[in-house]
Amino acid sequence: MDAHRLRVAHYINQFFAGIGGEERAETPPAVKDGPAGPGRAIQAALGPRGAVVSTMVCGDSRFNEQIDAAGDAVRAWLGAQRPDVVIAGPAFAAGRYGRACVEVCRIAADLGIPAVTGMHPENPGLLMYREAYVVPTAGSAAGMGAALGAIVPLACKLGARLPVGAAEDEGYLPRGIRRPGMRALPGARRAVDMLVAKLGGKPFRTELPVEGYEAVAPAPPVADLPRATIAVVTTGAIVPKGNPDHLKRCSETRWQRYELEGRTRLSADEFECVHGGFYNVPASENPNVVLPLDALRELERRGAFARLADFYCTTTGNDQRFADCVRNGKEIAEMLWQERIDGVLLVAT
Amino acid sequence: MAVVSALPPLAMQAGANRVVQGVKIEHVCGDPALPAEEDGEVRRRLVERGLRALATAVERPTLFEDAGAAAAAR
Repeated sequence: MDAHRLRVAHYINQFFAGIGGEERAETPPAVKDGPAGPGRAIQAALGPRGAVVSTMVCGDSRFNEQIDAAGDAVRAWLGAQRPDVVIAGPAFAAGRYGRACVEVCRIAADLGIPAVTGMHPENPGLLMYREAYVVPTAGSAAGMGAALGAIVPLACKLGARLPVGAAEDEGYLPRGIRRPGMRALPGARRAVDMLVAKLGGKPFRTELPVEGYEAVAPAPPVADLPRATIAVVTTGAIVPKGNPDHLKRCSETRWQRYELEGRTRLSADEFECVHGGFYNVPASENPNVVLPLDALRELERRGAFARLADFYCTTTGNDQRFADCVRNGKEIAEMLWQERIDGVLLVAT
Repeated sequence: MAVVSALPPLAMQAGANRVVQGVKIEHVCGDPALPAEEDGEVRRRLVERGLRALATAVERPTLFEDAGAAAAAR
């Protein structure tokens, strides 16, 4: 084989391998020589530049439900094949497949092998590993041609270890990585040029895209406060002393639930603030200034509301990725719903 | 849900519909510079305002002003 011919390893699910649909989603990981399914189109697009030397197939449910075992299989496969580049999917809008593809990319990166996948920008798999090279695709396999048209050139570049440009130039989704570099014009000049273009109704390209917030329909008011159960939640990283769950000072991805039963206030002997985004000594000396348990208990006693939930939830609202914020919010809301909480006080630091 | 925030414009921009002005980022629900009793009073008033927000129908992000000021106005 030509020394410059790229060795490409390809990951696909049971559906694209032609094994079957949902009824075969438990298919265990298996390796085949050469291309299979969309791998044949990848091979055609590669032409003399490379060869799809090996394909791993795994059922979507199998991969997601036994993610550690699936990861081991992927690791063993890539270790044995030592490809120059890995292509996973594309997964389009399929969530489990998307997660599997992103996981394959993560494992490849751990092994020092570049990888690229493709999926719809709203595929939840994207949230699992943002650093993956992900080409945006249509929502269904009808977009296979366009997807491979973007994936294959990027895979060739990555496999040849050529420098890869910015997301918007190369056609992959932003990975949240900033590379220092020089631009022809200073920032002030670029900013004014952008402003002038904007005011003139001309197109311009922002250098700092802001992730959009969704409009949230207001919840109806709590109808009968004296009969309501109220819960308290904070982004202020108030944790039991010693931070037993290792809540991070910043960039946290999780949230925690802690008990309040039998407590009338938060004492500095038992709780502390581990938020790294503000001066947290006052909140560690008196955690009630962030999580107002003493006031809530007093108002509960006076009958302002019926009952305070016996727990609170916290995360660290400091440099938390938007996607994690959204997921944490959903998870906390679901839990509060199950606990039949009527109203929530969220203290945002 | 009502949000107590030291930065209500941010909370409202992010789509929070019931927002209560907190004291400061470092101590949203109180003021450690005050004597303990007054600090507790600040905190109680804030929580009351949050409860009032929860019981109030809103159509869009709405700031609930200081309960003390509102009481004084009545």
